[in-house]
Amino acid sequence: MGSISLTIDGQQVEVEEGATVLQAARKADIVIPTICDHKDLNPYGACRMCIVEIAGVRGFPTSCTTPAVPGMQVTTQSPRLTELRNRTLELMFSGHPNSCLVCIHREACEQYRPKVTKAARSTRCGFCANRDECDLRAMALSAGKNELSLPTLYASYNLERDDPFMDRDYNLCVLCGKCWRICEKIHGKPAISIINRGKWARIGTAFDKSHVFSGCTFCGACIDICPTGTLTDRFARWQGKPETDTPSACILCSEGCSVVAQSKGGQLLAYTMTGFNKEAGLCALGRFGAAQIVASNQRLIRPLVREGEDFIPFDWQGATASAAEGLKDCGGSVALVISASTSREDRFLYAQLARQLQGRMLLLPAEAGSDDPQVQTLAAAVQGGTVRAVIANGNLLPVEMITKIPFTLVIDCLHSPASNCASVVLPAAVLSESGGTFRTASGAIKQLAISSQAPGDALPEWRIVCDLAQALGLAGFGYESVETVTPLVADDPAPAPVSGDPRQNVRDLVPRFRGHLLADVVPALAAFGLPKTPAETSEETAGEGFPILEKREIAPNMHFFKVKAEKVAKFSLPGQFVILMARETSERSPFTLVDWDAAEGTISLVIEEVGRSSRELASLKAGDMIAHVSGPLGLPLTIENKGTVLLGGGCYGIGAIFPLARALSQAGNRVICAIEASSAYLLYMQKELATVCDQLIIATKDGSEGVRGGIQEVLAQVAAQEPVDQFIAIGCTFMMRMVTEISRSLNIPTLVALNPIMVDGTGMCGACRVSVGDKTRFACIDGPIFDGHGVDWDELASRRSAYAREEVQALSQSVDLNALMHQPHAHSHGGGCGCGR
Amino acid sequence: MTTNDPMPEQTAATPKKVRVKTPRQPMPEQDPRRRRTNFEEVPRGYSEETAMLEASRCIQCKKPGCVEGCPVNIHIPAFIKLIAEGKFIDALLKLKEQTALPAVCGRVCPQESQCEERCILGKKGEPVAIGRLERFAADYGRKHGGVPDPAKAAPTGKRVAVVGAGPAGITVAGELARWGHEVVMFEALHLAGGVLMYGIPQFRLPKEIVQYEVNNLKRLGVTIHTDYVIGKTETVGQLMETFDAVFIATGAGLPVFLGIPNENAIGVFSANEFLTRANLMRAIDFPRFATSPIRPRRAVTVGGGNVAMDSARTALRLGGESTIVYRRSKDEMPARAEEVHHAEEEGVVFHLLTNPVRIVTDARKRVTGVECLRMELGEPDASGRRRPVAVKGSEFVIPADTVIVAIGNQPNPLVPQTAPEINTSKWGTITTDPVTMMTSKSGVFAGGDIVSGAATVISAMGQGKMAALAMHRYLMGGDPPQV
Repeated sequence: MGSISLTIDGQQVEVEEGATVLQAARKADIVIPTICDHKDLNPYGACRMCIVEIAGVRGFPTSCTTPAVPGMQVTTQSPRLTELRNRTLELMFSGHPNSCLVCIHREACEQYRPKVTKAARSTRCGFCANRDECDLRAMALSAGKNELSLPTLYASYNLERDDPFMDRDYNLCVLCGKCWRICEKIHGKPAISIINRGKWARIGTAFDKSHVFSGCTFCGACIDICPTGTLTDRFARWQGKPETDTPSACILCSEGCSVVAQSKGGQLLAYTMTGFNKEAGLCALGRFGAAQIVASNQRLIRPLVREGEDFIPFDWQGATASAAEGLKDCGGSVALVISASTSREDRFLYAQLARQLQGRMLLLPAEAGSDDPQVQTLAAAVQGGTVRAVIANGNLLPVEMITKIPFTLVIDCLHSPASNCASVVLPAAVLSESGGTFRTASGAIKQLAISSQAPGDALPEWRIVCDLAQALGLAGFGYESVETVTPLVADDPAPAPVSGDPRQNVRDLVPRFRGHLLADVVPALAAFGLPKTPAETSEETAGEGFPILEKREIAPNMHFFKVKAEKVAKFSLPGQFVILMARETSERSPFTLVDWDAAEGTISLVIEEVGRSSRELASLKAGDMIAHVSGPLGLPLTIENKGTVLLGGGCYGIGAIFPLARALSQAGNRVICAIEASSAYLLYMQKELATVCDQLIIATKDGSEGVRGGIQEVLAQVAAQEPVDQFIAIGCTFMMRMVTEISRSLNIPTLVALNPIMVDGTGMCGACRVSVGDKTRFACIDGPIFDGHGVDWDELASRRSAYAREEVQALSQSVDLNALMHQPHAHSHGGGCGCGR
Repeated sequence: MTTNDPMPEQTAATPKKVRVKTPRQPMPEQDPRRRRTNFEEVPRGYSEETAMLEASRCIQCKKPGCVEGCPVNIHIPAFIKLIAEGKFIDALLKLKEQTALPAVCGRVCPQESQCEERCILGKKGEPVAIGRLERFAADYGRKHGGVPDPAKAAPTGKRVAVVGAGPAGITVAGELARWGHEVVMFEALHLAGGVLMYGIPQFRLPKEIVQYEVNNLKRLGVTIHTDYVIGKTETVGQLMETFDAVFIATGAGLPVFLGIPNENAIGVFSANEFLTRANLMRAIDFPRFATSPIRPRRAVTVGGGNVAMDSARTALRLGGESTIVYRRSKDEMPARAEEVHHAEEEGVVFHLLTNPVRIVTDARKRVTGVECLRMELGEPDASGRRRPVAVKGSEFVIPADTVIVAIGNQPNPLVPQTAPEINTSKWGTITTDPVTMMTSKSGVFAGGDIVSGAATVISAMGQGKMAALAMHRYLMGGDPPQV
C-alpha cells in the first residue's frame, strides 16, 4: 500500500493509504479528543468529539470515520470546533452525573477528601470508582469551563449488582458503544447490545436476561474498555487506578493464556487481556478469579509443623529441617503428587527431588482433585505400606489416605482438609507471586512474571524445594534464582488441553485449582454451576430483630427506613441517634434519627449507602428485620427560643435537620432550613421540611435548583439579609468545616453534629473521641452536637478515614460477591430507586 | 503438648497420706509457639482422670479456709469430693448453688489470691487446683448435657429490673430468679455478658461459654432485653414505675486516657475499643464479621493490669510485635501472675519502669512511636506501692503503629447522669449502703464496678450475691427460700 500526504493544522503529514484522518493526526502527534474511538475497534462515529474541518467538505466530519485523502486540508482546532465539541460534551454530560465538575468547591473538596466515597450509585465524581481514570472527566477538566447549560437528566436505572464479578450502573453510560463493540469483536455475537430507543436507549442483554444466561463469557473486556465507570469489577472497584501492568501468563488451566497483571501496592487487582481481540480472550476465572485467589483470607501464611495434635508455627529453617527429618525417617519410599498448575521450573525441581529420593512423581492435571485416578492408585501403594511419605502441592490427597501415610508434606497456598491433617505444611507463593515459565496445551512456552507480594512467609516453590533438598543433603539444588533453573528444563511435554472452551463458555471453567474447589475460594463462581463445599449452618438467628415497615430509595443512595422500635420511639428527642446492626455479623453503625412516632412505636431514618454497613442495611426490604437497633443515644439538642435559627443540611443531614427544625419551630423560633445537594435530583424531603420551617432554601452545586453552591453560599446570603441567632449544620465533614469558617467570620453561634467512627455508642470505647475547644470529648455521650467553632476538623477527618483500606477490603469481599441472579429480575424500570417512573 | 499423664489408680478411697503426696496436676496448655497465632483457649482443661486425681488431693478440711476465701462462698470441699467420686454433674449442681457462672469463674478468677491462697495444702506444698476443678465440672456439664434445670421457688409476684448484663447483673438475676422473682435484664449492647463478652479475650474465655451461661439464665425464666440503654432508652426513674426493685450494674465502662500529647492520633486506642472490636464485634473473624480488626505491626500497650495483658496478647495474635509499657516494676503489676507469665511465654516484651510522655506521629497523624521516660522507684505512695519517679533526660522512643491505653476505666456515666436522685461519689461511682446495697433512692440497688470502681469479675459477682440477698429481704421482708 502506498502512502499519501495531507495537511493537518498546516503540518504536512504522510500516512499509509486507507488511514483515517484521526490516525493521520495522531501520527503527527496532533491531539483530537475522542470518547468512542479505540485502537482495537473499528471507527464508530458515535461521540462526535473528533470532528474536524476539511477544506471543501461541508459540515464537520468525524475524523475517526473519514479516510485521509491526498492533499486534504484539515483543521482540528478552531473556535467553531471548540464550541461544537463543548456542546457535544455538554450533551453527553446531560446524561452523565457531573455536578463535581461544575461545583465551585471542587478543588477544596478534593483536597480535603482525596479518596472517593464508596457509594452505591456514582452520582458525582466524588462518589465514582472510575474518577481517576475517567475520560469524560479528563476532557471536561481540560476544557477548563465549569458551566453547563443543559440540565442533568438522571435516568434512575436500577443498579445491576446481581451478576457475578460485575457492578453495572447504566446511569453513567454515555452510549459510546465500546462495550458491545468489543464484545462483538471478541466473541462474534455479542452478549450485550443497545436496547430500547430514544432517551431510554441503554446497553443490555437480549430480553434483559442475567449475564449468566446471556452468552456472556465474563472476559471482562467491556469493563476494561468502559471509559465512564458504568461497568466495574466489583473486587477491584474501589482500589483505584492500577499502578503497574506486568505481562505474564495465567496458569489456572493448561491453556496458559497470556495476561497483563494489573497491580497496586503489591496487590494483584486483575489479570486483563493483552489486547482486545479474540486470541487474547480470557475466561471468567482468569480475569476475575486469580486476583481473588491470591487475596483469599484462606491463604497459608506461615510454615506449620505438627507436634502431636498441634500445628506449631515454625520459621522456615526449622520447618524445612522438620520436613527433611520426616522424609528421612519415614522408612519407605516417597511419592510426590504435583498439580500441573505450577511452573515448569517447579515441576522440574519436584521431579529431580523425586528421582533423588528414588520415589515416584504423579503430575495431576490442573483441574484434578483428590479423586483423580492416579491418586487412587497411590492409595493402594499406601495401603500396602510401600509408600510411606507423600509430598503434595495442593489439596490433592483424600484425608483418609493422609491418615494412613506416616509422613505427609503439603506445599500449598490455601488451607484445606489436606493441609489440616498433614505432618508439615509449607506456604507457597502462587500465580502472580511467583516467576518461571509455563508450557501451554498448545506447546508454547510462556514467561511468568511476579506482579504481587506473597502473603506472610510464603515462598515460591522452587525455593522451597531447593531448601528442602539441601536439608536432605541432596546435591544439585543450589539454584539462586528461578531463571537459573529454566535452561535445564527440556522436553517437558505439553499438557492435555482442558475439556470444552472456558473462554467461550462459563460452564466449561475448570472447577479446581491445586485440588481446591474454586467456588469455595471465589464464591461468585458458584453462579456458573461450579461445585462448592456445602456451607456449614449459618449463625444467623433469623426472625429476630426490629421489623422494617417501610423502605424506599428516596434519592439516589438515600434510603428511607421506617422501623418498628417502640422503646426508641417513645424516648427519642431531637438530635439523637441510634446504632444499627443489619445482621448479627454487622458493624455497629450510628444513624441520626429523622423522625419518630411514639404512638405508632416507629422510628424513621435516612441511610446513605456509602460502605459495607450501609450497604447491608440498604439490601434489606420492607418486611425484613434489622438485627439490632439501640438507642436513642447521644445528648439531644437543647430546644430554646433563640430568635432566628438557620439549619443547614447536606447528604444525610437533610433528613437529620428535620426533627430539629420541627422542635425549634414549635419553640417559637423563626426557622430557616437550607439544604444542599450536588444536583436537584439528589434532593429529598423538601415537602416535609417546608412544613416545619418558615423558609426553605435550596442550594445545588450545579445550580440545577435554587442557589448555585452549597450551605456556605446560603449562610452568607441569609446573614446579609437578616440577623441569624443560631446556625446548626449537619452533613459531611467537608461541608461542616467550610460553613463553620464562614459563620465564625460572621460571629454566628454555630452547632454541628459530628459523625466520627463509633463502636459501642455508650461511652465505653472512646473510638468516637473528638477534640472540641482543646478538650477531648466522646461524640456518643458528650455529643454528637458540639460548638462548631471549637472542632479540630483535621483530626476528625483523619480519624474518620482510619479504616479506609479495610473498608475497601470489606466491600470487595463482602457478601455481595455471593449475590447471584436467582432472584427474578424486575424490569425495565423496576422501581427501587423511588423516582416514581 | 504439655499434658502430664495422670498417676494410675488413685481415687478418693486412697489413704490420706498417699493422697497428699500426689502433686498438683498441671493444666495442659496450648503450646505458646502455636497459640500466639490463634485465638483458641490457652489452657485446655483437665481430662476426667486428671480431674479426679486432682480432686483426690483435697483433704476435706473441717473448717475450710477456701470457702471463706471465695467471694461467693462456694462449697468447695463438697464439690471437689463429688468430682473425686466421679459425680461430675452433681459437682456442677453443687457449684451452681453458689455461682451462676462456674465456667467463667473457673477461668478468670484470681484463685491464687482467694480460695487457693487459703488452702491448707498450700502451707507446705501446692494448693488444690480449685479453679481448674471448677472449670472442669462446668465444662463437663456443658459438653455432656444432662444437667437438670435448677430448682425454682414459687413465684413471689415481685418484678425486678437488672440494669447491665455483666457478671454482677447476671449473678443478681440468677439468684433472684431462683427465689421466685420475675427478673428482667436490660443490656445496652447487642449481646449479654458485659465485660465477659467485650473485654476478656476469646483465648481466655471463649464467647460460646458466656452465651451458654446467658442461655441458662433465660432457661431460669429471666427476660433479657439487649439494645436497651438505661439512661437513654428509659431512665431508672421510669423503670421504678413498673418494677418493685432495680439493680444497677452498669460497670466501669468509661476508658481513662493518658492525657499526653497526640493521644487522638490514628492508631491510639483505649483497651476497651481494641478488645471490644476483637471480642464482642468478632473482628478476629473479619471479613466474615464486618468490624475491622486492628492489625498492629508493632503494638505498645500502656498499663500493668489484666486488661493490659489481654490487650497485649490480643495485639500479638492480630499482628506482630507486642510490647507492654508499665511505669512501675513487675512486683507492682496488678495483673495476675499467670497472665503475666502467659504473656511472656508468648513473646510479649515488657518495658518496666517506663512512662509514656508523648505519642509520636507522622504528618498524617498516624502513630509512629511512643516517647517514654525511664522511671525509678521512690517512696511508697497511698496504695502502698513504691512511687515511680522520672529519671531526668531519659527520654527515648519506642517505635509503634498502635498504642493501646489500658490504664483503667471510670464508671459509666449514662445511668448516674440521668438519675440525679441517686448519689454518686466524686469518682462517679454510685454510693450504696454497705449492708443493704441500696442507693440513695429507695428500691434501687447497685453493685459491681459501678459501685466499687474497676475491679474483678468475681468481686462483682460477690457483690451481686450480697445485693440479691439484700434485695430479697427488701422485697419479701425475710430470708430467701432454700431451693
